[in-house]
Amino acid sequence: MYATYVIWSKHMTKFFHSTEEALGLALQSVLWVVLFGVGMRGIVTQVEGGDYLTFILPGIIALSALAGSVGGGMMLLDERLRGITREYLVSPIPRLSILLGNAASTSTKALLQALLMLVIGMLMGVRLTGNPLGWLVALLLVALFTLGFSGLALAVASVSRSIMGYHGMIFLLNLPVLFASNALYPLDVLPPWMRTLVLFNPTTYLIDAVRSLAFGAQPALVLANSVAILFVFATIGMWLALSAFHRSIRS
Amino acid sequence: MATAAIEANGLVKRYGDVTAVAGIDLTVAAHSIYALVGPNGAGKTTTLNMLTTLTPPTAGRVRVAGYDVQRQARHVRRCIGVTFQDIVLDRDLTGRQVLDIHGKLYRMSRQERKRRIAELVELVQLEEALDRRVKTYSGGMKRRLELARGLLSNPQVLFLDEPTQGLDPQNRVGIWNYMRNLNREHGLTLLLTTHYMEEAEMLAHTVGIIDQGLLVVEGKPADLVATLGANVIRVNGQGDRRHFIQQLGILPFVERVQFDEQDSLVQVYVDNGNRRLVEIVQAASGNGFRVEEIAVAQPGLSDVFLRYTGHALRD
Repeated sequence: MYATYVIWSKHMTKFFHSTEEALGLALQSVLWVVLFGVGMRGIVTQVEGGDYLTFILPGIIALSALAGSVGGGMMLLDERLRGITREYLVSPIPRLSILLGNAASTSTKALLQALLMLVIGMLMGVRLTGNPLGWLVALLLVALFTLGFSGLALAVASVSRSIMGYHGMIFLLNLPVLFASNALYPLDVLPPWMRTLVLFNPTTYLIDAVRSLAFGAQPALVLANSVAILFVFATIGMWLALSAFHRSIRS
Repeated sequence: MATAAIEANGLVKRYGDVTAVAGIDLTVAAHSIYALVGPNGAGKTTTLNMLTTLTPPTAGRVRVAGYDVQRQARHVRRCIGVTFQDIVLDRDLTGRQVLDIHGKLYRMSRQERKRRIAELVELVQLEEALDRRVKTYSGGMKRRLELARGLLSNPQVLFLDEPTQGLDPQNRVGIWNYMRNLNREHGLTLLLTTHYMEEAEMLAHTVGIIDQGLLVVEGKPADLVATLGANVIRVNGQGDRRHFIQQLGILPFVERVQFDEQDSLVQVYVDNGNRRLVEIVQAASGNGFRVEEIAVAQPGLSDVFLRYTGHALRD
């Protein structure tokens, strides 16, 4: 675990060292909320009795967490292709900590982004629930969700031979995650076949839970189930990453 | 334990149909410097990867610092330091951060890290650059930083893959001095790979020549050279070379004749070069071979390489 912390702190040091990355991430958050929120507000005023920005904010947070995971995978791929992972591999640390350190730093960045987005959202009139515990659990779920997708991205990054190959594979994953979910539209407006599809997407559970925990919306799914599913998703994601990583270093 | 620092038996690595290492037995005495010499693609790096727990061998056993590389990998990792052939540094970190993070991976305490970093930075003379980002370093500085990193955790065995590749002569000599001092003053065992004969000759107590995945010969540099004969006479010329070589072999003072295809150079190992020069020229002219160039030289490790592999080592 200590090694995980060391690798996490290395990534965070690099993150704050690199003004472009930190600033870019912050600006991205602002732009997403402002442009997407304002733009959509023009055509959709109300969803399920609430403001559309409130409705879409959890989706934007999930999307940026997803983008963050892709970036985290990119970081591992870069370290792999440049041989930097070998420094870890000859040192007396568990292999898992290399991946967990990476995923934890991705989650941290995603949480910072989520917080920033919430603040901007509030400045634009989004109302949070009065329950800070709910916010906290919502953020925890964002972290779990990021761990899960980081795991998938890291698994792909472990076996990719090039940056192009990685992006090709990731793109396949990325697109359905956003559109086959409840990020942009409520569950009950979907046709049954799509509803079934959407229920296979962990993003749906995150968004539904965050909507109810942080924004006080009526949950469409059982909250406890959503939490459990996100837990399982994070575990499976990291497990996939570890087995792919093991396979890549064993050759 | 006065046992060997590294002991490998029947080491094999195959990638599909390709055999990178075809069965190597290797023993490196504790507190010695061992150089694995061979051309690129001979299997040096693959061997090193197996010794440093990076790649599991297809067959064979390895013990490093008394531990089994496969079954006690974690123990092995704690006892070794490694520098890789290509420079692997995080360009966006400062030299100090690189070293500090490395120390943390080995669970060194804050005080210990501080002390070791100060010591090593003095050794490799990077005091002034320590708080600059690695991307501003020159090639030689990066190498020195990597050397410091490899030494940070106080390893018993240090592995260096082509430690001076791409360095200018001045930096190269500097790195050689560090390595020699570390071995002399701290009893560190070093295993390095190189394709510079000079490097092996200058540093190593034992040299192993590796070619096409096999260890062809092993020994002290001086002993290996001594087996060749006192002098070598290098002859270049025109005519019936085969017949000339045949005739040379009959002469009583000729110990061995070697022909290097690529340079079309005939190398004649003799007991005394200066005395036999004339006789060689005579033997040539009597056999219809016209000598164009002839020189007497001391044989070196590169001649050892040529003798055991049948081809010259080139950069």
